[in-house]
Amino acid sequence: MKEINIVVVDDSPFSVAMISNILTGSGFNVIGSANGLEEAVEAVKTLQPDVVTMDITMPGADGIECTNAIHKVVPRQKVVIVSSMMDEEIIRRAKKAKVSGYVQKPVDAEELTLAINRVMADEELFIELEGLYTTVFKEALTDSFNKLFKTVPEFEAEFKNNNAQVSRGISVVIGIIGKYSGRLILDMSNETARHMAGTMMNSDALPDEYIVNIVGEVSNIAAGNACSLMNKTNKLFGLRVAPPTIVYGESITISKSDFDTAFSVTAQTTFGEIFMNVGFNRGEYQ
Amino acid sequence: MNTEYTEAFFNSFQNVMPQLGIESVRLIDIQDIGSQIHTPEVVCIIGIIGDLRGNVIYAMSADAAKKIAGTMMGGMELDEFDEIAQSAVAELGNMLAANACTELSQIKIKVDVSTPTLMVGTFSVSASAERVTRIELAASDFPFDIFLSLEKR
Repeated sequence: MKEINIVVVDDSPFSVAMISNILTGSGFNVIGSANGLEEAVEAVKTLQPDVVTMDITMPGADGIECTNAIHKVVPRQKVVIVSSMMDEEIIRRAKKAKVSGYVQKPVDAEELTLAINRVMADEELFIELEGLYTTVFKEALTDSFNKLFKTVPEFEAEFKNNNAQVSRGISVVIGIIGKYSGRLILDMSNETARHMAGTMMNSDALPDEYIVNIVGEVSNIAAGNACSLMNKTNKLFGLRVAPPTIVYGESITISKSDFDTAFSVTAQTTFGEIFMNVGFNRGEYQ
Repeated sequence: MNTEYTEAFFNSFQNVMPQLGIESVRLIDIQDIGSQIHTPEVVCIIGIIGDLRGNVIYAMSADAAKKIAGTMMGGMELDEFDEIAQSAVAELGNMLAANACTELSQIKIKVDVSTPTLMVGTFSVSASAERVTRIELAASDFPFDIFLSLEKR
């Protein structure tokens, strides 16, 4: 198993010693400690720990402020709060600061070990998702097209940015919920949608309402397949899709979304161009 | 309409908006409509799964969105509904839906929500449920709608 490196942030040398002892006893590497904001930021920059344990009440900046400062330097740094304070206000602030876990003082060795192992397992799972989902969502769209229309889309190179997009005409939005939440968007022109729906229903004169429904259904099938494939690879993902919402009209801008990971890709199909965007966020700690 | 869960979404609006600095919150009407939603300018779509399945759609005019985003950003007057303001409104959707989840859990309805998707422009929305509940509200005298396209499991 990979070694897990930890930096302990606490203003009390006694607490640092005690937490370090527990961590070392549980097989973790304590690679450094810090007694406040500046030392903590410096330690994270130079030592690159997997996890930081963080006290809340410290003179000067408190643990949440320290966490925010660390996240400015290393946005994805895992921080586990270890503190005697644990009221609603602190939990609310901790969630907002994207803290990964929370353990109350006096520290129980088992509880702390469990919290850190869970954080590390979550991180590994998210890395697994990141490595998989681009291929899986493209594959699912290909499979769905193959089954429904006996033709496969050709993908252009995908890109990682998630900037605002002007819709081609019809946008299908499908929420994804599970271990990580996210969403899928399939966007196409009215012409592409009409062509696709017409081929499916074998008709040239479908009412708009039908076209909208069929586009929603095709997207639903692709999204559902993608999530099943993800879950088959690792059932811990537990991904499920919400029903599609379809947005259509004369001018639509899809806003930029804040995702921890996202990709966009354009697929050339026999019906025309289809744009796909998928994004996921890490969950907050429970 | 299902008054139980409709109330949870209304309550979440009443809970969250004052926390963001928007004190005047008013309920205008609640009605059931069909699945076609003709919306003003800005919508935030969030998927819901659990004991309920569907979507919640928050809809408002660009002016309302600017006002709300400006208030959330510490009382700024916004000329444009730019990227930062859009991100604020997406976050608002997130907060409202998360708060509604908590409200729902208190009446033993367990649901999870997806990330929000924000759309801006001139368009219509086709919801997944055949019947959609529209909660017509006002926030700082700007119209604000919550559309519930939900089905019970």
